[in-house]
Amino acid sequence: MNQTAQTATAYTAKAKDIWVFGDYRNYFQTRVTLQLLSRAGDLAAKTGSAVCAVVFGHNLDEYVNEYIAHGADKVYVIEHLSLKKYSMEIYISLMERLAKQYMPDIILVGATSFGREFAPRVAKRLGTGLTADCVGLDINEDGILVQTAPAFGGNLLAEIITPERRPQMATVRPGTFQEIPHDYIRKGQVIRIPMPEDLPKERLKIVHYQRKPHRGQRIEDADVVICGGRGMGSKNRFKKLFELARLLGGEVGATRPVVYSDWADPELLVGQAGKHINPNVLFSFGVSGAIQHTAAIRDAGLIIAVNKNPNATMMKKADVAIVADANQLCVALIKELKKRIRS
Amino acid sequence: MNFNPCTKHKTVRKTVRKFVETELGPIAHEIDQKARFPWEVVEKMRPLNFFGLQVPREYGGAEMDSISYAIVIEEISRVCAAMGLCITVHNSVGTNPIAQFGTKEQKEKFLPKLASGECIGAFCLTEANAGTDAGGVETTAIEDGDHYVINGTKIFVTNGGICGSALIFTITDSENQRNSNSVLIVEKNTPGFSVGEIEDLCGMRANPVSSLFFEDCRVPKTNLLGRKGDGLKIGLSTLDSGRIGIAAQALGIAQAAFDDALKYSKERQQFKKPLSTFQTIQNYLADMATEIDAARLLLYRACVFKDTGKSFGAEAAMAKLYCSTIASRVTGLAVQIHGGYGYSKEYDVERYFRDAKVTEIYEGTSEVQRMVIARSLLTKPA
Amino acid sequence: MLNLIVCIKQVPMVSELNWDPRTGTLKRDLAEGMMNPACHHALEAALRLKDLHGGHITAITMGPPMAEEVLREALAIGADRCILLTDRRMAGADTFMTSFILARAIEKECPDFNIVLCGCHTSDSETAQVGPQLAEELKIPGAAYVEWLELKENVLRMKRLSDNFLETLEMDLPGLVTVTTSQYQPRYVPLAGIQDAYDKYDITTLDADDLKLKITGIKDSPTRILKVYSPDSKKKNIEMKGPAKIIVEELLEKFGRKIGGEIQKDLKAYGQDQ
Repeated sequence: MNQTAQTATAYTAKAKDIWVFGDYRNYFQTRVTLQLLSRAGDLAAKTGSAVCAVVFGHNLDEYVNEYIAHGADKVYVIEHLSLKKYSMEIYISLMERLAKQYMPDIILVGATSFGREFAPRVAKRLGTGLTADCVGLDINEDGILVQTAPAFGGNLLAEIITPERRPQMATVRPGTFQEIPHDYIRKGQVIRIPMPEDLPKERLKIVHYQRKPHRGQRIEDADVVICGGRGMGSKNRFKKLFELARLLGGEVGATRPVVYSDWADPELLVGQAGKHINPNVLFSFGVSGAIQHTAAIRDAGLIIAVNKNPNATMMKKADVAIVADANQLCVALIKELKKRIRS
Repeated sequence: MNFNPCTKHKTVRKTVRKFVETELGPIAHEIDQKARFPWEVVEKMRPLNFFGLQVPREYGGAEMDSISYAIVIEEISRVCAAMGLCITVHNSVGTNPIAQFGTKEQKEKFLPKLASGECIGAFCLTEANAGTDAGGVETTAIEDGDHYVINGTKIFVTNGGICGSALIFTITDSENQRNSNSVLIVEKNTPGFSVGEIEDLCGMRANPVSSLFFEDCRVPKTNLLGRKGDGLKIGLSTLDSGRIGIAAQALGIAQAAFDDALKYSKERQQFKKPLSTFQTIQNYLADMATEIDAARLLLYRACVFKDTGKSFGAEAAMAKLYCSTIASRVTGLAVQIHGGYGYSKEYDVERYFRDAKVTEIYEGTSEVQRMVIARSLLTKPA
Repeated sequence: MLNLIVCIKQVPMVSELNWDPRTGTLKRDLAEGMMNPACHHALEAALRLKDLHGGHITAITMGPPMAEEVLREALAIGADRCILLTDRRMAGADTFMTSFILARAIEKECPDFNIVLCGCHTSDSETAQVGPQLAEELKIPGAAYVEWLELKENVLRMKRLSDNFLETLEMDLPGLVTVTTSQYQPRYVPLAGIQDAYDKYDITTLDADDLKLKITGIKDSPTRILKVYSPDSKKKNIEMKGPAKIIVEELLEKFGRKIGGEIQKDLKAYGQDQ
């Protein structure tokens, strides 16, 4: 018998609701749920729909209140002791059931590690499309969600829609949207749903989990990063970047050639095979700008690049391109900063 | 006739490129400057069959076709010509003659060690008074019971400082002019065999080129390659294959210089526009690309002739002559396009420029290649 | 015997990526293909399992005929069998359709698998969705972004970093994992392996009819791409040159407030702050 990919589960949305998955596990680092509630509010204004948060877990009052304060009109809550752990399989089943029952028009999920695994499976069960890691969301004149997603290391952007199937689903990169200031007077409807008793047996179990121990500041979280390349000249000169980093309260990153030359620890590699960083200020000393490196710094804010070659790729990617010897400029900057910080 | 590389050859190229760009790329400049042989990279190359490129499977080699072989050498040389030299000399003149002319016992004894890279091979012809002219060889191998006793000095031996075994071109019979030469396999630890100082050369600096000394060096007769008096035959056949390797090496250097020049010409601005917008530079680039392509086709033809059992001596000589000639020219233009920066050690093109020159000299100078080509033209039946 | 399946995608080499800035379309024919890095790590993870426990690795890819090359590469480093799904009707499939087609091929060709390994994401479309969706299609458990795995009886024990949490997981088999690039650094391809991959193996090539599928990749995909474009670089790109000391002063003059804001220090020169 011939098979087709049409799944019986696809539905036409009854409600115009926009759902945001409440991803609170890493609440203090990732405020993506609040950011999504904010954007959902903008979108809801265009479609005349309600903004809903959906949250699973145990002892959730704090988050429920927070979601309402940040723009949720309704919060769907399933609370149960067994939901204390972030269990993928159970969460997927719960989301599937709720979506099939309430039929939202849009489901937004933060592109956290959890969200990026959770959303595709939910989309599959609902027989609908999903756009990954969006950096833009809007509603077009037909009332359809237009999702902007990066490809090829951010070198390209694609606009993607799910024209027919519902819900329209997207995961959204943390930091893409601004959360709205909280308003604890704001009222919202809380819909509590009992934990179903007929969930399938879990085949994937979390045996153990712990918050990753903090080893000082992680370069991924640093507001200021100093990246150095071969243009620093030597291992000894490269070390000066650490002094600059101390002065600026930042972290040092390195390019692949630097790591290979043993000027820096492989832990410091910023690149496709290493760390992806998103500092507010990035200093780039003597970095030529291989695509593996530039792809990993694409979320940086102000970029200040120093290179003898004004045509190095890194210089084109910078806000400020300083044509100078990286080492000399580093020394001059350290000297000047010391003076000013002291004064 | 199909000019598209087959998928296998594309895979070979990508595989080798990835390896050398990762492992040799970051150190190519340093090992050239310090004239350091990168043993740490050799360690990684060993299990990947780089040392047994054309050695039969039964002895642990990859048994590659000759185009694959040329691609491997080209890609290594594109990043580090000195390592390309080590590998091509080890394979084509240090190892393959044993596979081709060796007895079963010699193959079983030497090939596994050579193919695994446990032992690096070398081939010694050149002497103070002999190089291009093999007739001038003065190193003697005198029969003494079950042994040959070797005396003499070989110079400019590629891999000399690192070889575990070497094929030595000697005189075994001073009476008979025609069949006076023989090739002996000498292992490093043989008493009477010693290695001289590493030469301080213009290019290929990471390869430890040195002299080898033989003082009453006794090697068993079982180490005689082929028969007594086969020396010239083995030598000539070995050089034909060796030339394919050197041609591939020159091609790799030329390709590296072209790639850098093309990139630089697009980045570097003069008179507020990229160099590549100037017609003179465009002409340079067009000539370089054309010459590289022509060289590659000549080389691949020699490879196909070799693998299909045709005589390929003149084809290999043409490939070696042309590849090395254009390597010098292309690297020279690459320096020119880079201007002052090209003359500085900050950019790689000056290294390519130095490395390219010797490809016109070793394994038969360009003049000798012309002799070989002319001889083949003039001896062809009308 | 341990029966492993590795899903591989051929992606364009990033350094050779060409696209037409006017039309915003990729000139795919110009780009050389390569094995997606994360898929390569997944293959390495499978090879390590095979090294430890023995077993059989089937590599499978969906793509144009030229995608055969990445399968040959898989054979060269130790895969035992390869399947190429290629059909114009599969072109343009989104992750929903791709996982659907892959699942049907796996069910037909190697239904007795123990573990399916995928790369955690591809370097071209970067969705990271095919792996989890394939687990759904095959109705098996799955774990994404796995960094380390170990087989014990019929249970796969895994470690991963998930949103700042180090997790240890156990999964009943058959199951699916997607592997990150943080561990399982792929081994290099031995040159003898390449010769064998081309001379000694046949690749199973299947089209939609072989899988008894009535599909069109584009029409049956829930998502549609409206347009692809190159984002404008919003960088102002101010160039500074001259003596280092002067540049540093100019830099702090213009950006001292911004940089200082990040480190809660006033970097404007000696109280000259406007």
